[in-house]
Amino acid sequence: MIEFKEITKSFTSGTVRTDVLKGLTFKVGKGEFAAIMAPSGTGKTTLLNILGCLMKASSGSYFFEGIDIETLNDDQLSDIRNKRMGFVFQTFNLLERTSALDNVLLPLIYADNYPVDAKQRATKLLESVGLKERINYKPSELSGGQQQRVAIARALINNPSIILADEPTGNLDSESSKEVMNIFKTLHGQGRTIVVVTHDINIARNARRTIFLKDGRVEKTEVIS
Amino acid sequence: MKALRVAGVSINTIFKHKMRAFLIILAIVVGIATLTVIVALTQGMNKQIMKQIQNFGPDAIVIHSGGGKIRGPSTASEANLTRKDISAIENMDGVKLVTSFQVALDMPVKRGNKFTTSWVWGVEPNWKDAWRRGASKGEFITDSDNEQLSKVCIIGQSAAKELFGDVNPIGENILIENVSFQVVGILEKRGLSPIGTDFDNLILIPFTTASRRLMNQPLYISTARVIVRDPLRVEVVAKQIKEALRESHRLAATEEDDFRLSTPGEISEMVKSTSKTLELFLWLVAVISPFVGGIVLMNIMLMAVSERKREIGLRRAVGAKKKHIVVQFLAESIMLTFSGGVIGVSMGIIIAFLIKLSGKPISITWQSFAIAFLFSTFIGLFFGIYPAKKAAALDPATAISQK
Repeated sequence: MIEFKEITKSFTSGTVRTDVLKGLTFKVGKGEFAAIMAPSGTGKTTLLNILGCLMKASSGSYFFEGIDIETLNDDQLSDIRNKRMGFVFQTFNLLERTSALDNVLLPLIYADNYPVDAKQRATKLLESVGLKERINYKPSELSGGQQQRVAIARALINNPSIILADEPTGNLDSESSKEVMNIFKTLHGQGRTIVVVTHDINIARNARRTIFLKDGRVEKTEVIS
Repeated sequence: MKALRVAGVSINTIFKHKMRAFLIILAIVVGIATLTVIVALTQGMNKQIMKQIQNFGPDAIVIHSGGGKIRGPSTASEANLTRKDISAIENMDGVKLVTSFQVALDMPVKRGNKFTTSWVWGVEPNWKDAWRRGASKGEFITDSDNEQLSKVCIIGQSAAKELFGDVNPIGENILIENVSFQVVGILEKRGLSPIGTDFDNLILIPFTTASRRLMNQPLYISTARVIVRDPLRVEVVAKQIKEALRESHRLAATEEDDFRLSTPGEISEMVKSTSKTLELFLWLVAVISPFVGGIVLMNIMLMAVSERKREIGLRRAVGAKKKHIVVQFLAESIMLTFSGGVIGVSMGIIIAFLIKLSGKPISITWQSFAIAFLFSTFIGLFFGIYPAKKAAALDPATAISQK
């Protein structure tokens, strides 16, 4: 599903060039639950931005479901994000003053066809993450864990091929973290592909495979059988 | 359909940011209300001007004694038109009728202890046909009045009000320059002349009485009004009159005219050029006001883009294309300016009505609505496009990581 070949990413500020990713090569297969583990400040978010087609690599090639991402234009990348990817962010990124239900429906606004059963689908997803009683609550009325569950429901509304999560438990207490990771496990059990980027080994251990990064390169890969 | 869904986002955003929406709408309301009032005012002015030109008559030519440029009517003291001149014009091809009159401006008029100044014209009976204006009450000047040098007068309604108030003036006497005249009729109302003079502050007396008893001008005529048969030929007849008068007054080719001709075209040009400067100034104010509203809109929308970077980043992350972000922000701007336009036009109409009540010329037509609505939408587009494009140009990865 995901094939990274010698991906590099550099940022230039004035005359100073910083190489964040220095030739990453790895694959993530369909239906896999993978964690990408790296210490803070070593380019995890940059990697997730490239994986999520929010940013292009400086060099190397990235194939997603057989499509060469580097050749796509901005509109085509938007289509890929809308139809095939679901995002879960550390800071939840929910729209303020907007109900949980409307937050979940957000990606459908940009879908080619708005499903007639969109509201039922969103309600069902919120029920599946345990927020049946909270569908009309606004983010400010929900706890951190509940907000992240809304974000997961939003990531699932378009029935994406992959869920990309960037430090999904970074802003949660241990109990909420556990609940969120259990949801990911359930989703994986249903056959979904999940990639979680984290600096926390305990979170990474929830995945079936962990890719360790060091100095912008893959250091090692561990598979949990 | 997708565009409608994106526009729906704009409506939600407007309701979620009520204070911001209120400030933008307020700025547009002020601008559009100003525009509406000014459009109504200039249209009212133009209508009044057209009415004044109509008052002059589309088939009329006025011949004034003395040369120079257009001003008020020539007075008896500068009269140089002869009976021979008038007869020659009467016999011209295309001329329907000619009436001669003597003019005195601002003559002192008294009745008891009431005093005013009025235009006093010495007229012939066919004056009423030439001006299409007779007596609304009582009688007009007759041939016999002219033959007998009668001391009778027809009084205009402004002069009548000034001297008589609510009393019926017919049968009463007034003093014009200490000569007593009996009021035999009241003149039909006419309003303002093309140059803005009150045509109802006028007193008509017999031509002969004016020439011999009041204005001391027995030989010459100060002014004449010619009515042509075909209004389309009014300029052609005016040219013939000019040539005939130059010949009869024995003017050499190098000499200027010693008379002036006023035609509807000339009057229209003169009135329009007078009102042009005022109209230009009003339009300038009318256009500037909504533009100020537009600048306020752009400022607030730019601030909104800055505040909503994270939201824009999120929308891009979940699949919004650049054009969707442009549509969302532009729709927001247009909805706000259009709402401001609707409220502004309504307020403008109320203000215009209030101004109308004070007697100012105001004309409210569908053009006022159309201009205001089009202008408000244009402002939403023009001043909303830059913030919208700025929002769309944000890098999604950077925008979503904004605090």
